[in-house]
Amino acid sequence: MSKISNSSLIGILIRLLILLAVAKAIALALWWFLPAEGVNLKEDTNFKPEYQRVDFKNMLEPNTASNAVNTKKSQTNTEVGINITNMVLKGLYGNKSKGFVIVALKSNPKKTSIVSVGEVYSGYKLKSILSNSVIFTKAGEEFVLKMPIAKTNLSSGVSSVVSPVASGKPYVVTRRDIKYYEKNPNEIWKDIAIAEVKNGAKIEGFKVLRVRTNSKMDKLGLKRGDVIIRANNVELTSYKKAFDLYTKIDKIKTLQLVVMRNNEEKELIYEVH
Amino acid sequence: MVKIVKFFGYVTFFLLALMYFTPKESVYYFAENELKNFKVIVSNEVVMDKGFTLELKNMDVYVASIESAKINEMQVALFGLYNKVEAKDIELSSVAASFVPLKISDVTLVYTVINPLHIELNAVGEFGEAHGVVNVLDKNLSLILKPSKLMRTSYRKTLRNLRKKADGEYEYVQNF
Repeated sequence: MSKISNSSLIGILIRLLILLAVAKAIALALWWFLPAEGVNLKEDTNFKPEYQRVDFKNMLEPNTASNAVNTKKSQTNTEVGINITNMVLKGLYGNKSKGFVIVALKSNPKKTSIVSVGEVYSGYKLKSILSNSVIFTKAGEEFVLKMPIAKTNLSSGVSSVVSPVASGKPYVVTRRDIKYYEKNPNEIWKDIAIAEVKNGAKIEGFKVLRVRTNSKMDKLGLKRGDVIIRANNVELTSYKKAFDLYTKIDKIKTLQLVVMRNNEEKELIYEVH
Repeated sequence: MVKIVKFFGYVTFFLLALMYFTPKESVYYFAENELKNFKVIVSNEVVMDKGFTLELKNMDVYVASIESAKINEMQVALFGLYNKVEAKDIELSSVAASFVPLKISDVTLVYTVINPLHIELNAVGEFGEAHGVVNVLDKNLSLILKPSKLMRTSYRKTLRNLRKKADGEYEYVQNF
C-alpha cells in the first residue's frame, strides 16, 4: 500500500520537475532574445562657447587719447542704466597692471573708447588686463569682459548677419514680465504662436506664426515669419534645448536670439533686469 | 474530478514557475525600448528582480528628451490574471509647476481578467485624488479629479480646462 502511494508521489514530483525545467527553458529562451540593456538618455555634451562677437576693423583703427577724454566727459551722461553686459571689448593691450583696452557699448559699437587701467568707463573701473579678457570693478564687485571670438559658421542661404546695432538698442525685459508669464503660461500662447520648423525629422528652429499686436511679446521685436534658430549660442534643434532655456530664463541676465528673417540672420539681444 | 484538480494544479505551478524564472529585467528593458518609440525614455533607474515582482528605483523620466518626472519607487506585478503597476513618490518637472502641483505620492494601475476591457487608474498627490479608467476598446481615458484645496486655490486655470461636475469633482476625457 505504501509502495503505491510513494510511486504516485514520485510521479507528481517528476512532473513538477519537468514543468520547472520547461519553465526555466522558456525563461532562458526569453533571456536570449530580449535586450540585456535598457535605454538611457544621451546628454548632448558638445561644448558651445559663450556667444561673442568681434569686429576686427575696430581693433585696427587707431584711437587717439582724445577719445578717452571724450569718453570721460560723456560717461556721466551714459552711466545711468549701463550694465557690463551692454559693453563690447574691442581690443586690449598691456598686462595685468598696465595698458589700455578699447571698449564700446553694444548700442553703439562704432563709438569706441580707450580706457587705461585704473580709469572708469560707464561707472566700471578697469582693474586689470588678462590675455583675452579684462576685469572691471564696481561697488566692490568684479566683472569680467571677454574678448569676442569671430563667428563664421553661417548656414547656407544666409546673405549677412545683421547686428543688433542695425536694429537699435538691446531690448529690456523685466523680471516682472517673466514672472507674469511663469504664473500665466496660457498667456504666452495667447500673445504668440510658435511651431517647429523641420527638415525631415530634424528640427531646424521654431517659427513665429503669430504675435498679438501691442502684447508684451510684440514689444520684444519678434515678427511673424521669424524662425528662431539659436539662443545664447545654442542651436535650437530640439524641444529639450528650448525647454532647457525656458527653465533657466529666470537666472539669465542676457539673452541673445538669432532669427532668420527675410533669409537673413538677425540678432536680437535682451537684457533681463 | 481529481484529474481536473491535478491539471489546474500543474498549470498553476507551471505559470508560477514561469513567472519566477522570467527574466523580468530583460522584459523591462524590452518595454523601455518600445517606450523609446513614443519618445519616452527612463534613465538612471535601478532595476531589481524580486522573484514574482519587479522593483524600480530612482527613475528619471524624459519625454522628447525633456526631463518630465522623477519616480522614486515603482513596483510591477504581472500575474496574468491580476496585473498591477504602482509608482510612489513622484515629482514632476518644474516645467509643469505653472499647471499642477509637482508632488504625486502614489499612482496605481490595475488590470484584471475580471474587467478585461478596462485599466483602472488611481492617483493621490498634492493635486488631490484622481480615479480614472482606460477603455481599451474605445481607446479613451476618463478621469475624475477630486481637487485638493491647493489645487482649487492655486491652479484654477488648470481646473478651468476640465469639466466641472455637480458634486464639485472635475472630469477629463481624452481619446488616444
